[in-house]
Amino acid sequence: MTKTISRRDFLKLGAASVGAFAVGQMLPPMVAKAAKESGLINAAGNGYISTMCEMCVWRCGVIAKIVEGRVVKLDGNPEHPHSRGNLCPRGQSGLMNTYDPDRVLTPLIRVGKRGEGKFRQASWEEALDLVASKMTEIKTKYGAEAMVFSSTHNLSQPLFENLLYAFGSPNYGTQRSLCFNAMIVANTMTYGMEEPARIYDDKLKYILLTGRNLFEAISTSETSDLSRAIDRGAKVVYLDPRYTKTASKATEWLPIKPGNDLAFHLALLNVIIGEKLYNRAFVEKNTIGFDELKKEVSKYTPDWAAPLTGIPAETITRIAHEFADAAPHALAHNGWRTSNFINSFHTQRAITILNALIGNWDVVLTEAGGEESGKLGAPSQPPYPRVSALRLDGVPWKYPVVPFKIGVFQEMRDNIVSGEPYQAHGWFISRQNPVMSLPDREKTLKAFAKLDFIVTVDIILNDTAWFSDVVLPEASYLERYDPLLPFGDKAFLRQPVIEPQGEAKSALWIYKQLGERLGLGDYFQYTDEEDYLRQQLAPLGVSLEEVKTKGYAESPETPHAGESAEKSWNTPSGKIELFSDTLAKVGFSGVPTWEEPPQPAEDQFYLLTGKVAQSTQFGTQNNQLLNKYSDEPRMWINTQVAAKLDLATDDWVEVTSEVGQIHIPVLVTQAIRSDCVFMTPGYGHLSKGLTTAFGIGASDSVLHVTYTDPISGGQALSQTFVTVKKVDDASSAETLKPLYLGE
Amino acid sequence: MAKYGFLIDASRCIDCRACLVACSVENNVPMKSTRIWIKDSGVTGEFPNLERYTAPFHCMHCIDPSCVSACTVGALQKNEDGIITYDNEACIGCRYCMYACPFEVPHFEWSKQFALITKCDLCVSRLAEGQKEPACAATCPTDAIQFGSRGDMLAMAHERIRSQPERYVEHIFGEHENGGTSTFYISPVSFDQLGFPTAETTDSPAHFNRIATEEGTPIIAAGAAIGMTGIYLALEHNGKKQAVRKTEHAEDKHDTAGKE
Repeated sequence: MTKTISRRDFLKLGAASVGAFAVGQMLPPMVAKAAKESGLINAAGNGYISTMCEMCVWRCGVIAKIVEGRVVKLDGNPEHPHSRGNLCPRGQSGLMNTYDPDRVLTPLIRVGKRGEGKFRQASWEEALDLVASKMTEIKTKYGAEAMVFSSTHNLSQPLFENLLYAFGSPNYGTQRSLCFNAMIVANTMTYGMEEPARIYDDKLKYILLTGRNLFEAISTSETSDLSRAIDRGAKVVYLDPRYTKTASKATEWLPIKPGNDLAFHLALLNVIIGEKLYNRAFVEKNTIGFDELKKEVSKYTPDWAAPLTGIPAETITRIAHEFADAAPHALAHNGWRTSNFINSFHTQRAITILNALIGNWDVVLTEAGGEESGKLGAPSQPPYPRVSALRLDGVPWKYPVVPFKIGVFQEMRDNIVSGEPYQAHGWFISRQNPVMSLPDREKTLKAFAKLDFIVTVDIILNDTAWFSDVVLPEASYLERYDPLLPFGDKAFLRQPVIEPQGEAKSALWIYKQLGERLGLGDYFQYTDEEDYLRQQLAPLGVSLEEVKTKGYAESPETPHAGESAEKSWNTPSGKIELFSDTLAKVGFSGVPTWEEPPQPAEDQFYLLTGKVAQSTQFGTQNNQLLNKYSDEPRMWINTQVAAKLDLATDDWVEVTSEVGQIHIPVLVTQAIRSDCVFMTPGYGHLSKGLTTAFGIGASDSVLHVTYTDPISGGQALSQTFVTVKKVDDASSAETLKPLYLGE
Repeated sequence: MAKYGFLIDASRCIDCRACLVACSVENNVPMKSTRIWIKDSGVTGEFPNLERYTAPFHCMHCIDPSCVSACTVGALQKNEDGIITYDNEACIGCRYCMYACPFEVPHFEWSKQFALITKCDLCVSRLAEGQKEPACAATCPTDAIQFGSRGDMLAMAHERIRSQPERYVEHIFGEHENGGTSTFYISPVSFDQLGFPTAETTDSPAHFNRIATEEGTPIIAAGAAIGMTGIYLALEHNGKKQAVRKTEHAEDKHDTAGKE
C-alpha cells in the first residue's frame, strides 16, 4: 500500500486561478537526475536524498523521501545539528513551495507599465543579454556605483558578491538592518564577534528572553532546546508587550512597555554591579572599562526603571538577584529581530554585558563556528577592482561603526529617492523582496520609479518581481545545488531532489552566465554546480559522490581553545569591551547609556510586528500548505481598548501612520498591552501573480516609518505609531495610490 | 502483537502546526481537509495573569472503537496493533462513523465528488516502510507528540504527572474515555477547558451502543446519505453553538481545520 502525493492534489486549489505564466508549463515532479546517477534511488524509483531546507535561514537538514520517482515527503535529518530529526511547519511545507502553481518558469520581460503585471516570456539568452546590456549601459553612462545590488543571506551569496564587487559597485543591500543590526554591531563592539553561540546544556538554569519569541519565530533546534530547558525546570523570564506562545510557556511574562527594554537591562546592570553580584575574577581577567560602566549605570536604579518599563522595581531587583544566583548557568538572550527602537543598540550592548558580568563564557555562550570556512576550497579568481565611490547607504561616512557587509538597507533606498550623493540607475535584486520588507512601501516604489532598470531573481512573482523589468526564474531549494555550508566539524550539502521545473536555473548558473556576459568570467571559474562543489571539497579529499550520499563532508574543526588557554578577544583591546573606545572616538557613548525612546500620542498606539510559526518574512504566504494552516492575519487590539472603540473581533478598522493607511479586521484579545496593536507581517501583497496570497490581509510596510538607529544602522521597526478608527467594512479599504510607475 | 500508542502533552505543545502540515503531506490530505486539529483553550485570565494551552488532536484509536461498530460495510477496521484503519474503497459514504465517534474525529471530505471520510490511520504505510514514528510525532520540535507502545506511553503519562504534579491536572485523557484509547493526553488545565469532548459523550460503554439502541442503526444506515447529511449538519450546527459559548472566555480561538 504505497502512498504517493498526487501532483494533482498539490495543484488542485490553485489550478483554477493560476497566473498566466504557470499554466501547463510545469513538468512532473520527477526525482533529480543527479540523485539517480549517484545511486540514491533504486530500480523501483524509491530512495532517500539528504539536503538542506531553505524555508528560512536556519538551514535544517532534510531527508527527502522518493517513491516511484517522485518526491513525496520531507523529514528532518536526525544527523543535522539544526533539525535533529524535526522540521517546523515551514520546513514540512517545502514541497508546496516548489510545486507552487505560481512559480515563474521562464525568464520574463516586462511589456506593460511597471506594476501592471504584464510580462512576456523570454529565452534565457535574450533575458541575460538584456540584463547584461542594461547593466553595461548604466556602468558606461554613470559608473558602476549607479548599479545597486541587494540579496538576503543565503548560501550562494559569495557568488552574488563576486558579481557586484567584480562589477565595481560599492552598493550592497542585505536584510540585516531590517532585522538584527543592533545585535551584531553590539556583539562586535563588545566581544569582537557577530553573535556568540548559545549552549543549552542540562545545567542551564535561567533564561532571560528579550522579545525572543522562540516558539513562533522558530529556529528548530533552539526551539527544541528551550522547550527541553522548560521541561527540566529552568526558569524563563520573557519580556514582550504581547502574550505570545513563548510567553504562555515562560515561567514569568513581563509585558514591558515598548522601547524601554534598555531601561530594564540598565537597571539589572545597576543591581548586579551595585550589589557586587558579578563574577569579579572573570571581569578583571577578561574585560576592560568596568569603572566607566559602573559609573554610568549607578544612576539607573530599579526605582528609576519601574515607571519607564511598567515593571515594579522589586521585580527588577529580584530578577537581577535570580540571574546572578544562577550564574554562570544563566543566559541573557540577545534576541532575534533586535532593531526595534533607535535605542536598540544600547539595549543589545546591555544584554551582551550582562552575560559578560556573570562570566558565562564557555559555559552558556561560546564562539560560533563561522559559516566561512577556510578549510573548503574555492575556484581561483582575480582580486576585485578598487572602488572609490561612496556607498549610498551611508557606511561609513554617516554610519561609521556599521560593518560593510551588513550595511543600512533603508538608507540606500532613501538615497535612491534623494539622488544623494549621486543618482542610482539600476537595481539587481536576488531572493529578496524589498517592496515588502523595507519600511514605507510607497517610498520604496518611489525609489523604483527613479531607476532605469530593475531585475529580480526569484522563484515566484513576489511584489518586487511584480515591479521589475526582468524576472529571472531561480530553481527552488529542492531543485538546485548551492555552495556547501560549513558548520562545526562538517560541511553540509544542498543538492537537487527534483529537476528544476520549466526553465528555472540555479543561482550559481545565473550569476556565472551574467558574469561572463559582463566580461567578468574570471570570477566564475567553474564549469557547472558540481564542478564548483568539487573545487570546494578538494582540500578535504572527499568525493562529491560521498557527500551526496551522506549529505555532508567531515571537515575537522580547529581545536577549541579551552579555558586554560589565554583567551584573546577580537576587539581593539583584545578584551571584552564594557567600555568601547571605538564608539567613543566617533562620538557615541562608550558604555550603554539611556536614550529616551519616542512615545505615541494620547490617541496613538505602538505598531508591533512579529513572526508566526507558519510563515517566514514576506516569502512564504503563497505556499498553499502554510496558508491552509495559518490564522487569518487580523490586527490584535487589547480587550479594554476595543470596548472603548466599540470594536469586536472581525470588525474592520482604518489604521493610519505618518506614511500610510490600511484597512484590516481586528482580533480583540487580552494578549497585548493596551498601548499597542500588533500585525503579522507579510500580507497585503500587491502582486497578482501570487494567486494564493493576493487579497489576504494588509501590509505593515505601508505603515512603517523609516527611523534609523544612528549607531547600528538598524531600522527601528517598533517605533511607528498609529491611530485606529472603526470603519464599516473592507470595501472602503481602497487606499492605494496608483502604482503605475512610469513607462 | 504490541499495541501502538501516543502520548500528547499540552504543556509542551507550542501550536506551531508542524504536525498538521506533516500529516497533510505524508497522507496527501486534500487542501480542504485535515486529520489533525489544534484544541485551544484560548487566552484566559486577566491581563497580565494570562494562560493559554493548546494540543494537537486526532483519532484516539479506541480499544473498543465506536466507529468500527457503526460501520456497516467494514471500511473501518481495528488492527491487532491497535490502529483503526479506513478503507476508502469499501466506504459507501454513509457517514455513520462521524455520528458514532464520541471524539468527532472522522471528517467528511467535502471537496471530493464521491465524498469519503478522512481520519488518522497512524501513518500505517509510513510505519510499514520501517519508519519509527508517524509523521506528526516525528517532526514535533518540542516532543509534545510522542509515539511508542501503548503501555509505555501510558506509563510515561503516569510518571510525568507523578513527578511534576504542579504541572498537570490529575487526568490522563484517553485512559478511560470511551472505554480506553491508544492516544493519551496530559494537560496543565482541565480537558474541558482545552475544548476536548466532555465526559457525558465519552463515558464507557461505547458511545455508539447507546445511539444504536435508541435510534436503530440498520435503518439509518440503509437510509443512505441524504438523511445523514441532515444529521451531520445538525451536529455541526450544535458544535458551532458550543464553540461560540466556549469563546466567551477564549477570544483567540482559531479553527485550524482549514478555511472553508
